[in-house]
Parts: sequence; C-alpha cells; structure tokens
Amino acid sequence: MIITFKKDVPEVEIEKVIKSIEEKGLTVHSSIGKDFQVYGIVGDTTILDEKVLRSNRFVEEVTRVSSPYKKASRMFHPEDTVVDVAGIKIGGKEPIVVIGGPCSVEGKEPLLDIAEAVKEAGGTMLRGGAYKPRTSPYAFQGMETEGVHCLVAARKQTGLPVVSELMDKDRLDEFIENVDLIQVGARNMQNFALLKALGKIDKPILLKRGLSNTMEEWLMAAEYIMAGGNQNVILCERGIRTFEKYTRNTLDLSVIPIIKKRSHLPIVIDPSHATGDWELVESMSLAAIAAGADGLIIEVHNTPECAWSDGAQSLKPEKFKQVIEKGRKIANVIGREM
Amino acid sequence: MIITIKKNADEKEVQQLIANLEKRGVKAVEIEGSDFNVFGLTGDTSIIDEKAVKAYPCVENVVRIAAKYKLANRMFHPEDTVLDINGVKIGGKEKIVVMGGPCAVEDKEMILRLAKEVKEAGGRMLRGGAYKPRTSPYAFQGMRTEGILAMVEAREKTGLPIVTELMGEAQIDEFEKYVDMIQIGARNMQNFELLKEVGKRTTKPILLKRGFSNTIDEWIMSAEYIMSSGNPNVIFCERGIRTFETETRNTLDLSVIPIIKEKTHLPIVIDPSHATGDWRLVEAASLAAVAAGADGLIIEVHDNPECAFSDGAQCLKPKKFKALIEKAREIANVVGRDI
Repeated sequence: MIITFKKDVPEVEIEKVIKSIEEKGLTVHSSIGKDFQVYGIVGDTTILDEKVLRSNRFVEEVTRVSSPYKKASRMFHPEDTVVDVAGIKIGGKEPIVVIGGPCSVEGKEPLLDIAEAVKEAGGTMLRGGAYKPRTSPYAFQGMETEGVHCLVAARKQTGLPVVSELMDKDRLDEFIENVDLIQVGARNMQNFALLKALGKIDKPILLKRGLSNTMEEWLMAAEYIMAGGNQNVILCERGIRTFEKYTRNTLDLSVIPIIKKRSHLPIVIDPSHATGDWELVESMSLAAIAAGADGLIIEVHNTPECAWSDGAQSLKPEKFKQVIEKGRKIANVIGREM
Repeated sequence: MIITIKKNADEKEVQQLIANLEKRGVKAVEIEGSDFNVFGLTGDTSIIDEKAVKAYPCVENVVRIAAKYKLANRMFHPEDTVLDINGVKIGGKEKIVVMGGPCAVEDKEMILRLAKEVKEAGGRMLRGGAYKPRTSPYAFQGMRTEGILAMVEAREKTGLPIVTELMGEAQIDEFEKYVDMIQIGARNMQNFELLKEVGKRTTKPILLKRGFSNTIDEWIMSAEYIMSSGNPNVIFCERGIRTFETETRNTLDLSVIPIIKEKTHLPIVIDPSHATGDWRLVEAASLAAVAAGADGLIIEVHDNPECAFSDGAQCLKPKKFKALIEKAREIANVVGRDI
C-alpha cells in the first residue's frame, strides 16, 4: 500500500500515522519526493482500511498495490482449482461443463422431461430454481421445498448433479442435503451473512456476479466464503447493468481472462441471463468458450412460450443440443474438451 | 407506434392529436380498453417524434414499434452487404478481415516495418492513426498529413489497404485521395455535421466506431446519417462501452454482433485493443469475437509497445498477432468462415 502525504505536513503528524501502522506489525518505507512525501507499506495490508487512512487530513492519497483478497488470489495459489461437483470436475483443463435446465422448477413431470432432454443433448448438470428472487412480489416465487424434491427426483432418474439457488441461510440444511452445487444469485452476491454461512460448509458454491459489482468486489465475495473455510467456489458471470437496453444485461466476457489471471477459481458464463434473448444465446456461448470459460449455464425449456419465468431467454432442447455440438468444436480449437 | 391515451381524457384533445398525426400521412387505428384507450399508428412513423406526441396532456405513453432507421435496416435490405475496401471484401460470408497496425503512425520507417510484419502475420489491412483524438491536449496529436503519406507508402510497399481516423471536415479531401477506409472514432460518432459530410463528399467505406456511451439504436442512427447523405458503405466497429468496471479500459459488448446482424445488413468489426486496453486480454477477446460471428478484427500491433507514443499497453507484438490470427482461423472454420 502506498500512502502519499500532502506537501508541508508537520513531521509529527506523519510519524503518528507511521507509528499506528507499524504497531499492526507492518513495515513502512519512506521516499521523500519534491512535492509529496510517499510511504510504502509492506506486509499483510489486508488488515488496513484505506478509507480510515484517507480520513486523516494530512493524507493526500492511499493506493492499494496488492489485491485485498488472498485465498481467491492466484498469487498465493498458482495452480488452477478444480472443483468436484458430485463427480463432475470443473476448472483447470477439465472438460467444459454445460449446465442446462429451466429457470424455475414448474413441477416434477416437466422437470423430468427437461432433465432427460438436457442429458440427451450432452448437458452435464441440471439447473432449476426452486426459490426464485423475482423483482415483483406478485410474480411466481418458486415451488420451494417441493421444487428441490423435484430436482432430487430428476437427479435420481438422469444421474445429473443439480444446481439451484439458495436465497436464505434458513434453507441451508435443505440445500446441503439435496443440492450438489449451491447457487448464490446476483442479488445476494453481497449478502455477507449468507456468504459467511456458506463458508462453514464444504458444498461447492456457484457465486454469480452482482448486477453492478466490479470484479474486485466479486472476488471479495468469494473471499468471504473461502475465508470461512469453504474453498469450493465457482464464479459465474451473468451480465452487468449498463445504459444499453437492447439486452437484459451486458455480458462482460473479458472477465474470463481477467479472473483466470487474478484468481485460480473456475469461471462459468450464463449467456441466458446476460442477454435475456434466446436468439443471442448461441453466439455468446461460443464466444465464451473461445475466451476460455470453464462452463456454461443455459436455460432450457420444452415450451418457452409457456415458461413461468424467463421464457424469452430459454432455449428449446434441440437448439441447446446444437449449441453444445458447435461449442465442442470451438473447445477443441483452444485445447479443451466439452 | 402505439399511443396510450389516459382514461377520461378530453375527447376534443384526442381528436386534435389524431388529426395532427393523420395530417402527416400515418393512419391511427383505435383499440378501446377498459382502463386506457390505445391508438396504433401505421405507415411511415419515422417522421413522428414520440417526444412531441408525449407533450399532449391526454397521452399516457408512446411506444415506438418500428425502428427509425431505414437504409441500415435489414427489413428493407435482407441480404448481407459486402463492401469492397480497395480489393478486400468484408461482410456476408466473406473471409474475416484482420486489420493490424500501430495506434499512431510515429515515423515513416516504423509504419513501413510494421506494415510488413502485419502482412507476414496474415493481416489484410493496415491501421494507423495520423490525426489522433487524445484526451489531453498535451499528448502526441499525430503526424497528420505526413502520417497519411507514410501510410500511403506502406500500402505501396505491401499492397495492404489502409484505414485511419478522420477527425474534421477539413481533411475529407485528403482522406478521399489517400485513404481506403475512413474511420470515424468513438468520440465523433454523434458529430452529425461530420457524418453528413462524409456521406456527401465521399463513397469510401466508413468504419463507424460506437461511442463510449451510445446505445445500439443511436449507433445505427449514426450510420443512417452517413447513408442518407449518400454514402451507403458503412461498417460498424464495436470498441467497448463505458461501465462501472475499471479493470478494463472499457467493457467489450460482444452481443452487438448478433444484434447488428439481426437489425442491419452491414458488416461489423470488433476492436479488442481499445475495448480491453490490455494486450493480455486481446487474444481471448478476439477469439470470442470470431466465435460470435464478427466480420473483422482491428488490432493494435507494435514491435516495441513499451516505447509506443500512445496505447502501448494494449498493443500486441507481431509474433503474438500472428499466433492470434492462426488460432482465430481455426475458430472461424468452426463457425463456417475463413480468415
């Protein structure tokens, strides 16, 4: 961390700041410039809050040099992390995982039909929302426990591990018992109480990026889970909010090489929520694979016109199959399987 | 266009509104509802300003259904437009065009050297800025005419057509004479006078970059300015938009590729260098763009990025540029294209 003091600050004021930092076990190096006095702080600077330092009226600027996340950082963990989701490996050089399924679980029979179709198309995991974070309190809120049981039945029938969103830590036991990959939705990316609770278990977590969160905030959310002891975090980009209204969100694919550079965690892309339009899902899926994604999570529905939620962004099974077939060829070009 | 009329609106005012609209050649069809009355307008609604309609107190809401653009619209021109840039074809099922070169032309030797490198790597056009729109007036502003002439010499030596940015009307004649494709930069995407002039005074292909904070609709309307002024040869170029994310210079919006292809018939090129601002991200972004169906890539190449006059951090070295083209070719083959 670099602290720049204003010009002509009384020596005693600088000494006060330095002393308070050194008391925390950190080392301070000084370099006195012509216009400013600059100090470099060495050691575990994650314990320092730059806002507190900045609140000192003699401080001109505080710049963090190292990342505030440690466990999620590739610097301290150079090898790719491979997460095992009930036998399906994701990350590193493992085959690209394709997760398919409806936005919401709408009943046992419809889910079993879609699960079969997902498996038949080459999907490796089944998604389905049982607890739904809907913008409107009047919209369908999900089948809740019954929906989770439908997912369990679908897993039993197809062998596909299941992923579903947990909205509240009250349901944690239900998810630990029944779900293979626990999703933290975009709206809960900074629900720190939930993140801390997930840190205490060892189920893999699919951590979606918040609507308006930077990559650093996203990695800090992963850090919350990892700091609690759960190292099985998979990141999922689902588009960010921009001024562009044509798409539901703006898919930020540059996160793939950046997350891989900064972190060792696997990254999955959700082209369905990112675009909000099934017609854009194929090209964005292929683009994600070309950019190096470790997985895709795609909404699939037999009759999107009748879906209870997000019909406009759901692929029919045959189209989903096509995406996987084309995606596989792209994967081969960049040295991956799918 | 759909106009929703408030409940209990003054009938006289509504009649006045409809009469005024119909005077302009559109037809209003009424759909009576229980809470609102709705009028659907048919005909050429592009001349109607929805903001003016909203000004009537009786109007609850106005929604435009048909796009305002016509010449760029795929609806009126279903086939892909293929443009010829001094012998290099772009768009449709043509080979993906890779353009490479420095951010700025720094001297003649440098652009000649880089042009050769770009060609050897498999690039088919040469980029290079002669007039530079720099944020700071104290930063290098480009070699201007001298830079253009250096690029012309590079074209003579390598055969690569050249693309460079036009910043003002005063240079249109110079560009018309020397340049094969004229770039309108992001900052000038809505410089409407410039757009009209390049529409009138040249038929050279125009590479129209998307503004930092412009929607896809605004971007297409800018193309419409050029086309309606007389130059139908427009190529779109996405170079990232401004978002809250600071990790990258801009946020590359690749979903524009399928959207532009659905809405318009014009070619689309991706600029991964400006979008990411980081050479380490250029390859991944380029491969993704090709996979998503881009018609071309425009990439900054420099043989000594550390010493570049501008944008060094986002420049690829020629060797890396070549490796990128080779990988991109394989991706292109998967999506049924070649490079």
